[in-house]
Amino acid sequence: MSRADRRTALTALAAVAAVAAVALMPLVVDDYWTYLATSALILGLVAASIGVVTGRAGMLSLCQLSFAAVGAYGVAWCQAHAPGLPFVVKALAGTLLAVPVGVLVGLPALRLRGVNLAIVTLTFAVAVAAVLADQGFPGANSGTIVERPGFAETDPAYFRFVWVAFVIVALLLAWAGRRRLGAAWLAVRQSERATAALGLSVVRIKLGAFAVAAAVAGLAGALSAGQTGVLTAATFSPLASLSVFALAIFIGAQYPVGAVAAGALVAFFPEILRRLGLPQDLGDVLFALGAIQALSMGASVVGRARSALAARAASREAPAPAAPPPAPARAPDRRRPSGAPVLEVDGLTVRFGAVVALDGASLTVPEATVCGLIGPNGAGKSTMIDAVSGFTPYAGSVRLDGRAVDALPAHRRARAGLRRTFQHDRTIAALRVGEYARLAAPAGTAERDIAEALAFLGCPAPEVPLERVDVGARRLVELAAALCGRPRVVLVDEPAAGLAEAESRDLAERLAAIPERFGAAALVVDHDMELVQRACAHVTVLDFGRVIGEGSPAEVLSTPDVVAAYLGEAVPA
Amino acid sequence: MLQSTVAGLTSGGAYALLGVCAVLMYRMVGVVHFAQAAVATFGTLVAAELFHDGMAIAPAAAIGVAIGAGLSLLLGAVMAIWFAQAPIEVRSTVAIAMLLGLLTVGSRLFGGSPREMPDPYPGAAFRIGDAVVTTSALVVIAFTVALAAGVGLLLARTRFGVLVRAQSERPVTAELLGIRVRALSVAVWTGVGAAATFGVFVVAPTRPSDVTSLSLLILPGLAAALIGLFRHVWVALAGGLAIGLAEGLLTHFGSVSAYRQVIPFAVVLVVLLWSQRREVWDVAR
Repeated sequence: MSRADRRTALTALAAVAAVAAVALMPLVVDDYWTYLATSALILGLVAASIGVVTGRAGMLSLCQLSFAAVGAYGVAWCQAHAPGLPFVVKALAGTLLAVPVGVLVGLPALRLRGVNLAIVTLTFAVAVAAVLADQGFPGANSGTIVERPGFAETDPAYFRFVWVAFVIVALLLAWAGRRRLGAAWLAVRQSERATAALGLSVVRIKLGAFAVAAAVAGLAGALSAGQTGVLTAATFSPLASLSVFALAIFIGAQYPVGAVAAGALVAFFPEILRRLGLPQDLGDVLFALGAIQALSMGASVVGRARSALAARAASREAPAPAAPPPAPARAPDRRRPSGAPVLEVDGLTVRFGAVVALDGASLTVPEATVCGLIGPNGAGKSTMIDAVSGFTPYAGSVRLDGRAVDALPAHRRARAGLRRTFQHDRTIAALRVGEYARLAAPAGTAERDIAEALAFLGCPAPEVPLERVDVGARRLVELAAALCGRPRVVLVDEPAAGLAEAESRDLAERLAAIPERFGAAALVVDHDMELVQRACAHVTVLDFGRVIGEGSPAEVLSTPDVVAAYLGEAVPA
Repeated sequence: MLQSTVAGLTSGGAYALLGVCAVLMYRMVGVVHFAQAAVATFGTLVAAELFHDGMAIAPAAAIGVAIGAGLSLLLGAVMAIWFAQAPIEVRSTVAIAMLLGLLTVGSRLFGGSPREMPDPYPGAAFRIGDAVVTTSALVVIAFTVALAAGVGLLLARTRFGVLVRAQSERPVTAELLGIRVRALSVAVWTGVGAAATFGVFVVAPTRPSDVTSLSLLILPGLAAALIGLFRHVWVALAGGLAIGLAEGLLTHFGSVSAYRQVIPFAVVLVVLLWSQRREVWDVAR
């Protein structure tokens, strides 16, 4: 049983135990507390939805209760116009109604930083509150009451119904969290560039997170409609959204335990304060302070507890030794390289304001060949990689296998077989080595292929969390992941930075073996001339954005122009 | 129609001022300050309280502005001490938490219901046909223009301005050069806090004057700042006035006037979709 399977089994077991405990709970406490506990679960769903959009995908959303209001609106509308429908159908209708609204609000977030999204969502929350205050919920004026399902008419029965819904949602979110979808959310939170380089559409991931979160919040609203029967706009006020948001940050609502705890705090804390004779709104102040404290620590309460547990578990296990790098497997040639160009860059020009970073630079990478791109600092090497991989606008043309890719966005180029790595570490720290590589690989890639690609570059074992991998090794993981994407050509930006000399020599061997092993070509940028000489069959030299030399490494490195570009003047041989 | 549109000028002035303040905070101390109007509301309501207790309006206003500035100083200190190196998302999230805290404490201190506000600049300044331009509108707009121009000059011409620019563009480098980065950023917080408080105090009599409504004046303010893309002070100023005028126009049509709070959302949506139509990446490289 793998670790992930064991975790899933444990989660399921815990859920079953919780369901049993909950079924017995109404026998112990009175209806009032049962009613509050129902509210706690509903608010827990709202917190869980913030856990998705903010906790996992890193976008600030301050309008989750407005999505809940949309869900409740859907139920109230059904009640007013089609009272005969079963409650579950009404609730699903409300949930689904929240999805397009969530996507609409998420639209401006597609190309935005989280901060602007906070502005969008808070203005949306206020707008919804204004409309609801004016219009009211359907049927509210005529005194229509939302009916609960026949099997859950009493408060204890309705509590159990809501609990089942909560458990289903929590399990679904936990399941999605361990799949590509969840990994992609974490990726987009850390770096949009890295996400696109993995061949994933940033736009789709963000919208997806927003839609999922809106659906979960919409369900919460629908359930709340059944709980209260009569809906008021005050339940879904912007202030309430802010309050749950602060708690979600404070407790850590991306974890199911955190979501339950956050919901319970919102529901029970004012009641406890009231019994203690303290002002009830003290809760919001504490939640705000808690959120600020969590932000200053860089982790939520549950997040900190989990890392503490993980650290203890790790210290008990023997530290996983970095697998001794096996010699590259000599797989038979997959295909005779025909020598046809796989990547053709023609007249590439990039301007940053008045600065011309690339000035009509051209180069060609033949199929299944490792080429080098060298030049002094500021020559335009990384700009070349950024432009070719679609991250920087440019003039000129880029062709992959003879087809122009100029119109394709970065993630489509990656998927078409034009992969890259970054000069600075852009691996996704929240993932394990294997999860990260899987994110880069096409769906359906065998576990064995991923493990082999990782082993080929001497990476740490797939189950090691990336946050425990040193920066030099992360660069190798990044390259291995790029190779898992089955590229036609991979652009490698300074892979040896952060490696010791011996490791660097080893890496050169492996780079040289990429064509044979993966059938891919490579364009390697590095300052380590020994690595370039060992790995590359062909070298292009850039200086001030122009190509000043080309040829075999030995040839190029002895050209006076190239020597002058590096050292500033011609030196006596 | 002109009448009600021009009536929106007072609100527009407040939005313009808060928009300018938002741009200044974003550019000078790297935060989207969601709690700006909440801070100003505290100062404003203290001033109102003092006025109702019999204090003359000028000293009451002065104390209110001082309270707003002092509160802003405290928040700025929190930010400078614990979040000096934090990315802007985190700093802005802190500001959101501050907004929640201030809204709650404010409702407890001042009560949740609207109250009568002293009007420091009553009456009409001049008329355009039937339309009345109030003195408050004129004052707050003139103040905003002066603020925008003054800060522009301050940043361009004085040593203090150079230091502020240095700390905002390269905080670590500035600190290594021996610039007292924290003190500078707290000074910016304090100054902008005072300016925002003055603006909210002037327009408060024309608004629903409970804590929440006044604090949420920040939203049209942020919408105005977005129109200026959080870069251009003068565009933000114009944007704020435009939102105010649009609101005024909407009140003319009685049936939809309840929806004027939808305007900031619509503005934000349109501005963002337009300004971000090209692909933008989260970091330079």
